[in-house]
Amino acid sequence: MSKSKGSMSERKSRRVALRWLSAVLALGLLAGACGSDRDDTDAGNTTTTTTEAPDPGGDGDGDGDGTTTTTEAPTADPCADVTLEATEIGVSEDTIKVIVMADVDSPLAPGLFQGSVDGVMAWAEKVNAEGGLACRQVEVEFHDSKLNGQTTVEGFLKACDSALALVGTTVLFGLDVEDLNTCADQAGDPTGVPDVSYITTEVPHQCSAVSFHLSRPGAECPYEGGERDYNASVGAVSYLQESLGVDFHGIFLVPSDLPSTIASMAPQTAAQQEVGVTFDGVFGASGSATQAEFGPFVNTIRDNESNYVYNGSNDQAMLKMKREAALQGLDTESITWLCTLSCYTPAFIEEGGADAEGVYIWSFFLPFEEADTNDELAVFMDNIGTDFPPAWAAGAWVDGLLFEQAVEAIVERDGPNGLTRKSVLDELATVTTFDANGWWSTTDFTTTNTIGGCFVVLQVQDGEYVRVHPEERGTLDCTIDTVAVTTDPDTFTLD
Amino acid sequence: MKRFQIRTSLLVALGAALASLTILVWRYGADTEVSSEKIVVATVVGLTIGALYSLSATGLVVVYTTTGTFNFAHGGIGVFSAFVYWEIVENRTGPELPQWLGLLLVVLVVAPALGVAIDVILMRRLRDAPLVVQLMVTVGLMVFLLTLTGQIWQADKIRGVSFFWEGQGFSIGEQKVAWHRFANLVIAAIIAVFLRILLFRTRMGVAMRAVVDNRDLTALNGARPGALSAFAWALGSSLAALAGILVAPEVEFNPTNLNSLMLIVAISAAAFGQIRSLPLTVVGGLLIGLLESYNREWIDLGADFPFAGRAVAPIVLFLVVLALPQARLSVGRVSNNLRPIERTTHVWEGAVGAVFIIFMGWAIARGALHFLVWDPGEWSSVSLNKGISAMVLALIALSLVPLTGWAGQVNFAPLAFAGFGAFLFLRLGLWFGVPDTGGTGNLVWLPVIGLLCAPLGALLAVFAARLSGLYLALLSLAFALITSNVLFPHPQVFPRVHTFPSPYLDVGLFRIDFDSRFSFFMLLMTMFALGMFCLVVLRRSRYGRRWVAMQDSQAAAATVGVNVIWTKIVVYATSSAMAGMAGVLWATSKSTVDFRDFDLLNGLTIVLLMAAAGMSFPVAGLFLSFQFVFEGLAERLEQTGNVGFLVWLLKDFLAKFGPGMLAIGMVVNQRGAIFEMGKGFAPLLPWRDDARAELAAERATKREAEIGGLGLTEPFTSEAVVGLDSALGIVDDVTPGAGYRHGVARPMESTHD
Repeated sequence: MSKSKGSMSERKSRRVALRWLSAVLALGLLAGACGSDRDDTDAGNTTTTTTEAPDPGGDGDGDGDGTTTTTEAPTADPCADVTLEATEIGVSEDTIKVIVMADVDSPLAPGLFQGSVDGVMAWAEKVNAEGGLACRQVEVEFHDSKLNGQTTVEGFLKACDSALALVGTTVLFGLDVEDLNTCADQAGDPTGVPDVSYITTEVPHQCSAVSFHLSRPGAECPYEGGERDYNASVGAVSYLQESLGVDFHGIFLVPSDLPSTIASMAPQTAAQQEVGVTFDGVFGASGSATQAEFGPFVNTIRDNESNYVYNGSNDQAMLKMKREAALQGLDTESITWLCTLSCYTPAFIEEGGADAEGVYIWSFFLPFEEADTNDELAVFMDNIGTDFPPAWAAGAWVDGLLFEQAVEAIVERDGPNGLTRKSVLDELATVTTFDANGWWSTTDFTTTNTIGGCFVVLQVQDGEYVRVHPEERGTLDCTIDTVAVTTDPDTFTLD
Repeated sequence: MKRFQIRTSLLVALGAALASLTILVWRYGADTEVSSEKIVVATVVGLTIGALYSLSATGLVVVYTTTGTFNFAHGGIGVFSAFVYWEIVENRTGPELPQWLGLLLVVLVVAPALGVAIDVILMRRLRDAPLVVQLMVTVGLMVFLLTLTGQIWQADKIRGVSFFWEGQGFSIGEQKVAWHRFANLVIAAIIAVFLRILLFRTRMGVAMRAVVDNRDLTALNGARPGALSAFAWALGSSLAALAGILVAPEVEFNPTNLNSLMLIVAISAAAFGQIRSLPLTVVGGLLIGLLESYNREWIDLGADFPFAGRAVAPIVLFLVVLALPQARLSVGRVSNNLRPIERTTHVWEGAVGAVFIIFMGWAIARGALHFLVWDPGEWSSVSLNKGISAMVLALIALSLVPLTGWAGQVNFAPLAFAGFGAFLFLRLGLWFGVPDTGGTGNLVWLPVIGLLCAPLGALLAVFAARLSGLYLALLSLAFALITSNVLFPHPQVFPRVHTFPSPYLDVGLFRIDFDSRFSFFMLLMTMFALGMFCLVVLRRSRYGRRWVAMQDSQAAAATVGVNVIWTKIVVYATSSAMAGMAGVLWATSKSTVDFRDFDLLNGLTIVLLMAAAGMSFPVAGLFLSFQFVFEGLAERLEQTGNVGFLVWLLKDFLAKFGPGMLAIGMVVNQRGAIFEMGKGFAPLLPWRDDARAELAAERATKREAEIGGLGLTEPFTSEAVVGLDSALGIVDDVTPGAGYRHGVARPMESTHD
């Protein structure tokens, strides 16, 4: 399934070069840190997590954590003098099997989350090339959930039967999580399967005790309907209001093809209103809508002299909206166009052309263009096999990294034979500050209703994504707090 | 008279639509602002979109008027053509091809060629096929074309098609109208006028319509039905291509989006013109566009009805079909029943078959078939889950046997009935206070829910009683769309966040617990076998005979004293009860029931596969598992390391193209795969003398054809001699040394068995 990324020897030589570069950089940074009284975590409003992990490969090269800010103490080789055992379903003497499940092949959206599959495959390839995980090679099996609830359940069952964990799960129909939560482990206990997922929209999956979502809903669990407590990140909106010196009032485009995607936008609208945004209209932007159907939205902008359009839907919705506005003669430059990561794609620029110009995008991870500023991002870009991967690929890779760090912590504590589903779940449940070695906004996996508040704002300028804020490359702004809101997502109505 | 009927239906449909709109505005739109500016914007948007609907619908009408086939593949042809246009215009790497030239190339060359190919390869063989076969072949073609398009132009990049006269237009008040959109409106009107003249004012058009009424008579008058039919398909395909290319710039350019926009609404618009009148079809398209636009602007049904807007076209379709004049009984024609004398299965045969199916289900799931060449082993929980899904679908499919297979009432909405069953099961569980199960926890409730679902079917039968054929199929299509877009998404029907832990673990029948996936699978197998046996008994009953008689000829059935209306009500109620009970089992097999489980696409797949397998045979329900079997086999092969051509064939080719190809295969096998398999298998059974006699008769007929007139009615050529020799088993003796001797007869017993 993974894409070709050059020959093994080329990759190996790149990795060796990268290790040398990392070592030099680490020494440089260490020297810099010794010569300065600045706290790293404050530099450029950047949070940096230093994760100490054992050297999984046991070759003493210290590449287990991927960070450059930590000097590792020499550790004993955990694989030495250990007879490896099949400690759990999916863990044999020489392999660890994980499953990546994503909605890929469906007539409704062919190829939708293929990036997630590529991301996990690339991560596993990297881990294996470095000597493996818990003294074993990582084996990845792809299960296509096909935008279908039943096929999604089959993926959970497959994981129950054969895998240690699910990694990089990117599914929109995670409704039936009974098996995921309760299936038996090797000891016969109803432990469930650890699920390190990227995206989920359905409440049962969001609230699953064995699921750890990287792209978090920031919502209270358990949830049985009615009002729900959320935390929402609106840093980019606050920053733009302040920097442009205007109070936004305008329209909000909601992805309206599923009840869950509609409901998922309820906290974001409420949070933006909390920071002073007034909505002249909250409209559904279905994937099947024609551009002409955006006409009335344009009319709302004209009637209210709106200065703001927020797109929570996909990149095509943003383009249709902007094109219709231009067609109707609106001064599109007088409007602030803000979009989620869905507009951070090569297709948005390529397909959008002049219509994509000026659009702001907020991201909770460092952009791909800044691979030289972060080691983890650099390794990802080196392995993923494309200059501009989809965000799903990055999320799935980071899921892999989270899983890797949890496993390494277990190995350090209990040895390579301490690896079970329960130990993985216990380890993941203690992670409070995961930031993918400085690449992503910090995530706390001990609760469900927290969300990382760090962000970076990009803008499309002359056909490229250009960093707008914070100015310093390689940094995220973590100074603006998330907003706590309480809302009933099922009563969230569109205009 | 016909003109009067059209006007009446138009007025009724208009009145109903306006009444609905007025009520909704009055009820929900009290606080919304209505300004002239908003009216202008909504009207311009509505007409813009409506023009696209009209364009697409005219193609449907042309094909139906001139070939008698309602072409569900219309959208698929448009989608394929639009992607070809994208390839040669937008994705071209060489010298730039002007948009207009690309349009002409696709509309005048590519699409007509595709249309002629469809006619020659497929449609000519369907001339006398039953309606359900004709419809299912076009549905299969649609699925095939969409899959093919998706495979050729994979989603590895986002594609877009530019507007003609990009960015240019004129203003009406503050609203700007793009030239492209205005052109849509003009083209729709011009095409309607052109086609009206072509079909009603030219000799060719009259001949094209005459072919539909009586092909032989038209040929006797000097027309060439084959050429006319090919021209009709070429014309229809060109219109589909034109609509596809003009719609493409407006939408997210992928096959599913484009098809849904081109097909569902186009069907409603075409129905508005009774699939005959082109001007009314154009009016219908524009009206639906306006209704959708006004609905978006002023009607707010709240968060409980998030997809009600999608139901505007289906509601129009439902109202229009209801407003149609009563179908006249078809008299004076020979029934198109392909098999005059049909042997009905004996009760004991049904019982043996049911036991055999249960045994095979057990043996396969338990991996007891070690004697097979390739032992698949015991089923994993994933395989059992696939098996459970397949058996639930098979049970739903059984409900189509009496309704469509025997009574001939085409039904695209089996999942609507199943959805009601699931809803009632969940609600009864909640109302009766059974905690945490989401259902009653006991399958004793199954017949109760069947009884509760029966009136729903009876109610639809009351509507359907006046209709037959295509209009009945369209009514069920509208019903399926309305339930899946309006009723089922309501949170009070299927709660959006509530889950039910391991329902089947709590399910029991009397004192038997089905506490594992395997036992639940066996429960479903048993219920399928039981349902199949009941249908065998029912087929032999008085009602079974009445239903079949009704399909053969309603007029004849009425003449011999069958109450057609009552018979229809009973068969709809029976089918609805069966589907409702299957819906309960569906709900029981999952921990969360979601409205998306009951959408039109899933239901259409059931109907498609049942038709391909043989709608009138209960055992055909097992065909619903074919996709699961392919996927399961492929996975098993992958697990054993056999990755290669076979896996690709099973997983990537057959699982994707299979449903469409199976349905297209009905062109040569109109009674379904089960019928053909039965024809080969039955003569092997010791008690089936009738099957052996039938086989012998069939061979004799074939032999007569091969002999070809013995030189009396046809020229006595050397080819005829060879054919005669072959049929009579005569060989030439060319033994060395013995010389040449013609006409050494072989023993003939093989031809007289």
